[in-house]
Amino acid sequence: MPPSPVPPRTLHQTLAGHVGPTHVVRYAKGAGKYVMSGGQDRTVRLWKPQTGSQIQVYKGHGYEVYGLSVAHDNAKFASSGGDRSVFIWDVKTGQTIRRIPGHASKINTVEFNYDASVVASGSYDATVRLWDLRATSRQAIQVLEEARDAIQTIYVGPTQIISGSVDGHVRTYDLRMGELRADCLGPPVTSVLPTKDSQTILACTLDSTVRLMDMETGKLLNSFTSHKTESYRCRACFDAEERNVLCGDEEGRIWAWDLVDGKPLGPGTTGPPKVHEKVVLWIEHHVSDNELVSASADGTVKVWRGDSDR
Amino acid sequence: MHSGQLKRKLADLGIEGNNPKLTESFCLIGTPLPPLEKSKDTGEFVPLWKQEVRDEQGRRRLHGAFTGGFSAGYFNTVGSKEGWAPSTFVSSRSDRASKKQARPEDFMDEEDLEAARDDRKLVDTHEEMDLLGGTQAELGTRGGDVQNDSIASALESMIPSTKDSAGSLLLRKMGWKPGQGIGPRIPYKQLILQDQQSSSRPFEPPKDVDEDDPANKHLYAPRDTKVLLFQRKDNSFGLGYNPGLNLQQSVDGRTTSVSDNGPNISAGFGLGALNDADDDDVDVYDGGSRGGGRRLAFDEEEKDQDDHIVMGRPGQASQQETLNRRPASSSTFSDGRPLLPGFVLSDKPVSEDTWFPVPEIPKDWTPDPRRVWSQDVKQEDKENVPAKPSFVHPSRRGAFAVTLTADERGAALGEARLPATPKSVFDYLAPKDRERLQNLATTTSLTTVEVPDDSQAPDEALIPHTDPAVARAALSGFQPFTSNPDKQARYTSYLQSQASPGETALLPRRGQNREEFTHELREFAKSALIFKPSSGALGGRFATASIQDLGSKPKEGLYTPSVDGLREDSSVSETPKEPEEEPKRRAARLGMFGALTRETKPWAPAKLLCKRFGVKGPEVEAPPLMASGVAAEPEWKPDLSAGPPIGALGAGPSEETVAAATASFRSGPTAKKDISNIGLGDDDDQGRDVLEYTRPERDIFKAIFASDDESSEDEAETAPAATAEAAPTPSDLPESVPNNVPASIVPAHPSAAPSSAPLYEPSTSSTLGNTPVDISTFRPTFVSRSDRTKDAPSRKEQKEKDKKESKKKGKGKAILSFETDDLQIVPTRSDSPDKERRKKKRKKEKRDDGKVSEDVPMEDDDMWVEKPPPATVNTTDEPVVPCFPDTDLEQDKPTKDPHRGRKRAVDFL
Repeated sequence: MPPSPVPPRTLHQTLAGHVGPTHVVRYAKGAGKYVMSGGQDRTVRLWKPQTGSQIQVYKGHGYEVYGLSVAHDNAKFASSGGDRSVFIWDVKTGQTIRRIPGHASKINTVEFNYDASVVASGSYDATVRLWDLRATSRQAIQVLEEARDAIQTIYVGPTQIISGSVDGHVRTYDLRMGELRADCLGPPVTSVLPTKDSQTILACTLDSTVRLMDMETGKLLNSFTSHKTESYRCRACFDAEERNVLCGDEEGRIWAWDLVDGKPLGPGTTGPPKVHEKVVLWIEHHVSDNELVSASADGTVKVWRGDSDR
Repeated sequence: MHSGQLKRKLADLGIEGNNPKLTESFCLIGTPLPPLEKSKDTGEFVPLWKQEVRDEQGRRRLHGAFTGGFSAGYFNTVGSKEGWAPSTFVSSRSDRASKKQARPEDFMDEEDLEAARDDRKLVDTHEEMDLLGGTQAELGTRGGDVQNDSIASALESMIPSTKDSAGSLLLRKMGWKPGQGIGPRIPYKQLILQDQQSSSRPFEPPKDVDEDDPANKHLYAPRDTKVLLFQRKDNSFGLGYNPGLNLQQSVDGRTTSVSDNGPNISAGFGLGALNDADDDDVDVYDGGSRGGGRRLAFDEEEKDQDDHIVMGRPGQASQQETLNRRPASSSTFSDGRPLLPGFVLSDKPVSEDTWFPVPEIPKDWTPDPRRVWSQDVKQEDKENVPAKPSFVHPSRRGAFAVTLTADERGAALGEARLPATPKSVFDYLAPKDRERLQNLATTTSLTTVEVPDDSQAPDEALIPHTDPAVARAALSGFQPFTSNPDKQARYTSYLQSQASPGETALLPRRGQNREEFTHELREFAKSALIFKPSSGALGGRFATASIQDLGSKPKEGLYTPSVDGLREDSSVSETPKEPEEEPKRRAARLGMFGALTRETKPWAPAKLLCKRFGVKGPEVEAPPLMASGVAAEPEWKPDLSAGPPIGALGAGPSEETVAAATASFRSGPTAKKDISNIGLGDDDDQGRDVLEYTRPERDIFKAIFASDDESSEDEAETAPAATAEAAPTPSDLPESVPNNVPASIVPAHPSAAPSSAPLYEPSTSSTLGNTPVDISTFRPTFVSRSDRTKDAPSRKEQKEKDKKESKKKGKGKAILSFETDDLQIVPTRSDSPDKERRKKKRKKEKRDDGKVSEDVPMEDDDMWVEKPPPATVNTTDEPVVPCFPDTDLEQDKPTKDPHRGRKRAVDFL
């Protein structure tokens, strides 16, 4: 086993454009040459992290933007936020294709399925709603109402939908099995992300812990601590090879742990340096490169690259 | 004219014109026409106002012109030349309500109306006159009260009464007169008898009547029987009570009516209060006060006049007579007044109430209610202190006299306490027993002590009554207070006490005051009525729930937190949650993740959702499919979930097709088996396969038959394949190198550079040969690119170039896609970025040159990602690698591929 790659620590670009906190930043699909960010300033922005240039600003939200999801073909994306409706945008024209109302409260997260025929939205109203984008029906395909508190995160896989809720549960809806597996983690769950083999799942909770759970049995495989996430949603993610686990911090640090031994990786012994002025609200690793984007409440999106390998 | 001639002739004959016979009128009916001569125009001068207009026949015309009538004005018609015209039809449909019944008056003119009015008057007066007698008679038959009031009767006579009935008319014809009785005439003797009977006078043998009495010589009509008039009793007094009378008067049987005081004074003017009534003032029409309204020529009363004078009504007179006539039974009161008939004097004297004089109120006393109230309060405090008189002058009562008891006074004086304190039972007990009793008392003190305190008031009166039968039924019926066992127990005890009265005594609960207790009992009574089991057929159909509803009950009223309540609340609120939530959370807290924290339950995904996800719904899943699927699934899974989101694959038409494709390729020798299985089991895949199979055919046809200019978007998709064939010019190459990607990496790609070109050819050739032949073995689904490439060589190079052009056009639409690196210009979207396009094209060409397989999907990855070039399969050792020809897909590989060779493909983009 080769040593785990060094997490990207070199600041490549700072994408400053949002006014107020940036809640979410997502890579485009495919090669991930672009990132989209949504923030408190009710805009969604399209960036090219390579150059740090802002390509497009999507204005249309009446409230802050909490969730973003880019379609498989990068032709459209979905955004959600305080508007209580999911916005489907056309990337090229910058116009909303569809606005899907239906949630009773702000929508924390949206996620397309693999071919963008369904979009799932998780809301503060404790429901996950699955919307059909092929048909023009105004009704949701299905409403997942099992959660007892706000939905913070959704992952839509090919055969399953995973939701993380403030009630401390990670719920896995298996379409094939017709089964709902609810794993109780205790503290509110702010992000869920399965590994590519769908065997394990990475969940970030508000007890300053990132947990790696076994999806089959629900057992805890590893837990990553020593950072601080207690009151803000932050996302934990894997690096491209799924060797490391990365997570933001409320002190503006970006932590990295080795997946297997759970030790924090970093330049310093006392923890990674503070790279954002405020709490890190979202991080996402590039799908293949050793590149990382982080969104923070200080209104910036920073692009990090590993300096070693290329 | 004729009459004049006649007169002259007559005069000639010697007959005088004055002879009345000449003027005799033979007109028997109606008014005779005016004499004809008058209508003749004699030519004399007549003043204008005397002139009359007459027609040829001598009739007077225009007579109404000045007298105002229109009735014969115009052509002797009603007012118009045409005469009277019937009213035109007016539809009454809309206003039925306002439509009036047509009366004869509507069709009458004024004269008619006047005549009618006169007629009516005549009739009325006639009737009135006829009825005068009758009405009076009727008045006479009315009750006495009418007779009392002369004015009223007089007035009443003025009012025309109803017509006589047929019966009275008949009677009248038979000789009856109003006011008389019916029957044959009777002699005077009988008449007197009748009078006596009718006057309710006690029977008195008629005095000897003188036979010679002229009255005896006639027969008289019998007396009229009075109509019994019952007065409505509309008051609440006792029977026979006269409201206006005091006791004395009613005992005497007299009313202080006017008649007592003498004859009625006629009401009217001229008699002041100070004037004495003269004879003239006596109301001569007052018939009611005496004689019963009857007068005879021979008044029999006159005979008794010397015996006794009767004043007032005959009935009263008779009463007095009866009193006088019974001397035996009669006795008098002490004051001499006679006793009422039927009453006896009592022997015992009536005990008189003793009345005490009102206490003297001191002069300087002022009312001060507060003092009284405070006393009351004090009294409540110490029950046994005797109440002091409240109205005592402070000066008169000593400072201690009233307020202090003897004991207190003694204590104040320092006297020794008297030994005679009331001994209780306890004093007689042995000290041991006393202790034991006290122990007992302390243990049960709560109940024993307080109950009598609460039940000072009579409990029995407060307990609402429930029918024993109902109570018994309710005992066996629904128990309404199961959530509150305490209350339920009290309810049952109440029911028991009601079912068998007298057995159990109901006592209020501790800490429950009387009102609450009675209120609760009332509630019990009500619920007993409500919840008694319904009788009859329905009765047996209901069963009491076996599970008691012990859920938390909302408290009434304002929530006032108390320590006890808090404890209760917390225990109540937590208990239901604890069994459900706590174990999981505790386990999670302890880190015991796994079975403890996991909860699995069935969940039914919507059908449409399954369809959209391209997943078989759980309920549809067939066993044979499962068998095949189980084998295939573990292999696919990593592939399917490879990209963080599936879309990362670069988006294929559908996930399953990819999976199926990979599976089919991977399975290699066993491909046939798998394919057949999947084809049978999975309809969706089958359908898509067919669809995709047909598509390249259309392209082929287009390529063959369509003209070069007609290039559609579909062809644009095929274009990349074509570009693969086109040889890139060396000059293009440098331009096409992407800015950010080092060009050196391109050849370094392991799989693409060396192997693709040669291997590519066989694959195309094989597909060319195979497609028509070997459909079953090789899935047609994935032929897309190879088919296109197969087309390409057949076309001319010129055609291909044209297609490239068209492809560029198509690309213009997709210019914003994230895939291409050149997209920096995207938002501006220049109209003809020819250079850019050319760059792209060249770049692609160049890439195609290097590795065809990777480039193609990049152009239109939506549609054609899945197809892995068969060639690469053969070249690389691992079958997995070639499955992902797409550049995007290759990012996923690193997880599986230790060499991480694919990254180079990524770098290209």
